[in-house]
Amino acid sequence: MENRIAPLEGACKNYEEDLVLYYYGESGTEERSAMERHMAQCMPCRKFVDDLGRVLPQMSSKPEMPQAFWHSYFRETIEKLDEQEARQSWWRRWFVPMNGWLVPAFGTVAVAVLAIVLVIEKRDVVSNIDTASANIPAEVLVDSNQLEFFKSLEILESLSTLEQQEGVKPERKTSFNDSGRGAKAVA
Amino acid sequence: MESAQELGDEELVALCQQGQGHYFEVLVRRYMEKAFHIAYDFTRNKETAKDLSQDAFLRAYANIKRFDGRSTFYTWFYRIVVNLCLDHVRRSGKVLWESLDKTADEPGGRRQLVDTQYQPDQQAIAGEATRRANATLESMPNKQRTAFLLRNQEGLPIADIAKVMKTTEGTVRVYLHRAVAALRQSLVEFV
Repeated sequence: MENRIAPLEGACKNYEEDLVLYYYGESGTEERSAMERHMAQCMPCRKFVDDLGRVLPQMSSKPEMPQAFWHSYFRETIEKLDEQEARQSWWRRWFVPMNGWLVPAFGTVAVAVLAIVLVIEKRDVVSNIDTASANIPAEVLVDSNQLEFFKSLEILESLSTLEQQEGVKPERKTSFNDSGRGAKAVA
Repeated sequence: MESAQELGDEELVALCQQGQGHYFEVLVRRYMEKAFHIAYDFTRNKETAKDLSQDAFLRAYANIKRFDGRSTFYTWFYRIVVNLCLDHVRRSGKVLWESLDKTADEPGGRRQLVDTQYQPDQQAIAGEATRRANATLESMPNKQRTAFLLRNQEGLPIADIAKVMKTTEGTVRVYLHRAVAALRQSLVEFV
């Protein structure tokens, strides 16, 4: 590489993306041929690819770690995996067997218990209602015959009101609106 | 275990899924350098890279039964590594560019972008170019940086990067081009 500062020249805008792919070897056969034909005539595009070839590989350099580092890396990773496995295995001992038969069995028992609780609760509610009605004093409770009697009184009251209204029936004035049906009713 | 070295990734994964977890050690040995280097590319710190890449193995092992073989093991595993790195970078807020003050001869130091042949003025220029390139990488959107690092540093084909990033190849091409264009722009005075 030359020890001088040179500007990184631009490529043709339309070709730039394809030139990047060309550099990385990601172009198809046809695109590759087209790029090569173009670069044969275009100095800035050729320079652009050359510049990528100088700069980008140097950016990809990796830290060189000694062999001892990889030995300890591997050993530590395996230790961590073992620790993770040990942490998981204690609860697996309890919960993993549930995946087989214990989960449906547990579910059935839970539903049965819930059903029994609901039945007992319902019985309690019914018996509470019965005891509550038994505690009401006899004076407060209304006999069904008495209820009918009071209803007939209400009808009589409304009848007398109707009779009073019949007695003071005013003269009916006909209007434009009720001239049809109203007139017939009076007649 | 010696013959296990010859087994393919998918066979090893299948054995792990059947409860023979010790076969995962072969996968660790096979991918530990790659995983470490990807994490190093994102974090520029060896200790952090080691922790993150080891976490990736733990996570992969814990979820090995969920691996359904629709992708290759290594794209699935690289995705775990990349996601852990991006989470770390997001949490820590910035990348620790460990290599900035190191010379090219130090192990772990990124080689300088200009060959200086040890002339003081040229070394200063090379240092500045490296600093700019690193700063540009740091300031890139995560997706562009991921596409660039996986292609340029790890040499993954665009098709595999698309699988790791769960996007289309066309989108990866655009990310890659933008990343290279940004780097080129930052180095316009150098080389």
